[in-house]
This record gives sequence, structure tokens and C-alpha cells, in this order.
Amino acid sequence: MTPLERTAASGPRGVVTLGSRVALPVHGRQLLVGAVVVLLTAVASVATLSLGELGIALADLPSAVTGGADGADAFVVERLRGPRLVVALGTGAALGLSGALFQSVTRNPLGSPDVIGLASGAGAGAAVVALMMPGEVPVSLGALVGAVAAMVLVYVSTGSGFRNPGRLVVAGIGVAAMATAFTQYVVYAVERDKATALTAYVNGSLAARSWDDAATIGVVLLVVVPLALLLGRRVEIGEMGDELAGVLGAEPQRTRVSAVVLSIVLSAGAVAVAGPIAFISLTAPQIARRLTRGTGAHLALATLTGALLLVLADLVAQQSPIDDGLPVGIYTMAIGGVYLGWLLTREWRRGSL
Amino acid sequence: MSATGPVNGGGLRARGLSVGYGGEPVVRDLDLDVPPGGLTMIIGPNGCGKSTLVKALARAVRPVAGEVLLHGRDLASYRGKEAARHVALLPQSPIAPEGISVRGLVRRGRYPHHSLLRQWSPDDDAAVGEALERTGLTGLAEATVTELSGGQRQRAWIAMVLAQRTELLLLDEPTTFLDIAHQYELLELCAELHREGRTVVAVLHDLNQAARFASHLVVMDAGRIVAQGAPGEVLTAELVADVFGLACDIVPDPRAGTPMVVPHARHAAVVPGGAAR
Ligand SMILES: Nc1ncnc2c1ncn2[C@@H]1O[C@H](COP(=O)(O)OP(=O)(O)OP(=O)(O)O)[C@@H](O)[C@H]1O
Ligand SMILES: [Mg+2]
Repeated sequence: MTPLERTAASGPRGVVTLGSRVALPVHGRQLLVGAVVVLLTAVASVATLSLGELGIALADLPSAVTGGADGADAFVVERLRGPRLVVALGTGAALGLSGALFQSVTRNPLGSPDVIGLASGAGAGAAVVALMMPGEVPVSLGALVGAVAAMVLVYVSTGSGFRNPGRLVVAGIGVAAMATAFTQYVVYAVERDKATALTAYVNGSLAARSWDDAATIGVVLLVVVPLALLLGRRVEIGEMGDELAGVLGAEPQRTRVSAVVLSIVLSAGAVAVAGPIAFISLTAPQIARRLTRGTGAHLALATLTGALLLVLADLVAQQSPIDDGLPVGIYTMAIGGVYLGWLLTREWRRGSL
Repeated sequence: MSATGPVNGGGLRARGLSVGYGGEPVVRDLDLDVPPGGLTMIIGPNGCGKSTLVKALARAVRPVAGEVLLHGRDLASYRGKEAARHVALLPQSPIAPEGISVRGLVRRGRYPHHSLLRQWSPDDDAAVGEALERTGLTGLAEATVTELSGGQRQRAWIAMVLAQRTELLLLDEPTTFLDIAHQYELLELCAELHREGRTVVAVLHDLNQAARFASHLVVMDAGRIVAQGAPGEVLTAELVADVFGLACDIVPDPRAGTPMVVPHARHAAVVPGGAAR
């Protein structure tokens, strides 16, 4: 018997109680899936640090990550792969949660920040700030402004806010294309070494990340995750439509605004440290939902799944025999593109698009 | 009757209520006292504002003028879940979250009884079980809502509203999608809730059903209440002609004695011996 089951035994079945104040239902399947996702993430993280030429031997890994390494191993852990891994974990988590929030309040599996131009907008904002006014304004602020601007454009150009799924996707794809074109313009106007700079703002990459990047995304998560979890139940009730959610007391309008704001902050944070990485925020919530076969926003599980997906994608990017210089964003784009196509056809067949 | 259920009848009133969706108000300067413990049925032509009125009574839309009073206090001043422990609404076309089971949907009706750290209350299982049983859905509890028939889905929504265990229930066209037997089953359920002392308000399109089951009949037209009272006094041939533009006879219902509408259909099959006009 696990400790959790024992606590549950003092209350009703499937509910964890703590005194008379706390009573939280637990869903066995969700816990199990969550544990498996965490385990897989741990395995992928170990692989990230130990595979390949520069990899740290498994036997040396425990001492290396606790600071007991020297020479080449220390360089790999402290400079090369350590920060990159932490940034991948944090960025993936941020993207997963961002997508789960946005998809839930738009009641639309395609209403995901990366599909509807939020990430591209953030990328454009970051490019402008980093290339046109280097050092004057923090890149993350540029990303945030770009993300907000893109969402305002989408909101206005659908004519019906975020409500109509079809229009949201069409307007979003348009805004995303415009933002990407704008980014290309900025990069070509300013930068001499165009190809590499462009890659960073259009595809998203985790190469050469620093502990500063890890700290940035860490702070974003530290602030936003608790707020998102507080909002979780209302977001879930909000899926029943504004009228009913209002009657049930879940304050749908306020909930939607809060969720969109949190989602934008998460995506902007992710873009600021890794560029616009495609499709993690689209797929992570959907995978989480399918794994648990349940309903609701699955905020926690989508967060964990996002981290797993990005670490896996980056592992492939680092170990790929094709070209080790290819940014991770290209891999997520390839996989996500296939998934998006499948999702679009399915929605279309069902007549909901 | 449940512990969290009815408390000395629900006092729900509208005063000078106007509600709109941006343009001209569709409910205009309306006064209504919902009789506590009564079974009120609202009838009226399409688009006259019935749904808008019940939504405003449940705080699903904000009035542009006037107010809704719950137990003498402005409904808008109630905190989030507090009002939801008094008033439940079945909207005309509710949205089921993707993949949700019947039990999952019904359980969401318990949301107003929960708090951030107490997302479970001792009455939950009993309330959900009772709601499923009263709507005949116990056997379908684990089915996915979106895969049910229209009528089964409608009953699942009604179960969700019942699970809320409020003293006031507002049902917007609860009989749509139901076959004739289930329509009467649902109307009987309303009558039963009424006998238990709960206040029930239902929007209905079938005038005969409304007249037969209502303790209080409210007739709406163009955003206003044009008549209300006991069905026997309210439902007249003149009123039906005025409000619905339908010529008819009113005869006593052979079973209940309540008024029954017999339209002057132009293309009725000719039955030998029938009083064709
Ligand atoms: N969400 C909305 N946005 C804009 N206008 C609306 C909205 N809902 C209703 N209306 C308008 O308000 C008027 C009253 O609508 P309401 O739904 O209250 O009518 P109703 O009496 O319930 O009709 P029905 O019998 O067809 O259900 C209609 O003219 C309708 O077009
Ligand atoms: Mg209506």
C-alpha cells in the first residue's frame, strides 16, 4: 500500500483528505500516467547527458551532476548539456501548460498558441529587440510584446474573439505567416550572418543555452504554474460554455482572460529562451488527454508531457546522425506537422471545422 | 428531501428587468415574482425572450437595467458559487466537454458545493446517484455524453442540474429531444420536485403540457409578460390568437380538466362525424 492509498482510506474512496479542510479527488489513471511520464523524462534526461562521444559514463553520472566531476565531464555538465537539458525541461513544461490553458478556454484542440501565431509573434518581437535594439530592452520583454500583439491581431481579425474555432485557426495561421515574414525581414535587414540568426528566431533552438536561460524559464514557471493550478478547476468548468459556467459560479469571462494571460506569459518565456519551438503546446495537451481518456484541462499532465516531448526531441536533435547542427525546432515541426494534419482531417471529417 | 436542499421556498423576483445582447433589449422592463414552491411554466412564441429571461434569473446574462432579487438580495451581489447553491439552470443548448462521461457531467453539478481545497463533499455521491436514478440514467452512467441519443443527453443534463441540489430549478425547454413518454416522465419529475417543495420554472412550447402541469403560467410576447396566473384563467382562445397568431378552441382536458388547445387546422383530415368548421 502506498502512503497515498493509506490517506485515502481514511476518507471516501478516491479522495485524499487532510483534516476537514482538504479533500481532493485523485484519479488513479492520471496519477499512473503522470508517474510514467516523469519516469520517461528521467530516462530521456539521463540519455541526454550520457549518450554520444561527449557523453558521461552512467557510472560517473551521479557524481557529475552533484558537482563531483572535473575536466571534460564538468564542462559537459556545467556548460554543454546541463543547461541545455534544464532549458529543454522548463521550456517544454511551459509550452505544454500554455497549450493546455489556451486550448481549454477556446474549447478548440487547434486553438493552440503555436498554431494561432502566438509563438511566431513572440519570435518576431524577440528578433526586433535582439537585433534592432541590442542590450536596450530584455529579449523576453520583446517576446512578450510580440506575443500580445499577435493575439490582439488574431482576436480582432476573427470578428468573434476566440470563440469560433474555424475562424480562430484561419486568422491565426495568417497572423503566424505575417509574423514569420516580418521576422525574416528584420533578420535580413540587420544581420550579416543571416542563416543562423534566422534559424534561432523562426525555428527555435536549444543549442548553446546558458544557466541564465534556465533561470529565466525557471522564474516564469515558478510564478505561473501555481496560478495556473489555482485556476484549473474553473478552466475545467468553463469547458461547459459561458452560460453554464456562469450559473455554476466559475466566472467564465474572468477565467478566460486569466488563462489567456498566463498562456501568453508562458509562451513568451519559452520563446525568449528557446525561440518559437513548434507544436509542443499543440500536442502535449492532446496526448495528455488521450492518455488519461478523461476530460478537463489536464493542466498538470500537459505540463509534464510537454517537458518529456521537448527533452526527447532535443535528444534526437543532439544524437541525430543526419546533422548534429539542426535545431530542435525543425524536429518538433516535422513531428507536429504530421500530427496537425491528422488532427485537422479528423476535425474536418467530424464537421467541427 | 436532501439536507442541502430546499430551504423555506425560493424567493426569486425580477424588478424592472431589461436584458439585451448589445442592441435593443429583448426583455423589457419586466416584473416577475416566481411563486416560491410553485411550478411555473413560461410559454411564448419563438424569439420572444423566454430563454433570455431564465438566463437572467440564473445570472447567466447580466441585466442592462433593473435587477433580479434572490431572497431579497440582488443576485449580482452574490459571490461566485453562493448563488449556484440556490439556483440551477438547464440552458436551451448546453455544451458537453469532449469525452466526458455521464457521471462526470453530473458530478460537475457539485462544483458549487466545493472549494479550492475541498473538491469533494460528503453529499456528492448521494446527490449524483440520486440524480442519475431520477433521470433513469444509472445504467448509462459510464457512457460518453457525446455518444448518447439526443434524449438521453438531455436527461444527462437534467441530472447534472438535479445534482446541484438547489431549491430553485430553471429549465429551458427540458422536453426537447424527448419522445412523448419521456416528455411526460420529465414533466412528472418536475411535478414531483414541486411536491417536495422546490421551486421549478420551466420554459415549454407545448401549451397543453404547460397548462396541465403548471401551478402558475406565464405568457410572454416580445420581451414582456402579457398574462400570468392559474392556467385555467390565463389560457384563452383570445390570448392564443393574440400571442401566437393561432385560431383555436379551448376545451377542457378530458383527464385533468385543464385547458386544452385545439387549433383550427386548415388541412385536417376529415373524420366522419368530426365538427369541421
Ligand atoms: N447570444 C445572443 N446574442 C444576440 N442575440 C441573442 C442572443 N440570444 C438571443 N438573442 C436574441 O434575443 C431574442 C430573444 O431570444 P431568446 O433566446 O430569449 O428567445 P426565446 O423566447 O427563448 O425563443 P425560442 O422559443 O426560439 O427558444 C431573439 O431575437 C434572439 O435573436
Ligand atoms: Mg429559448
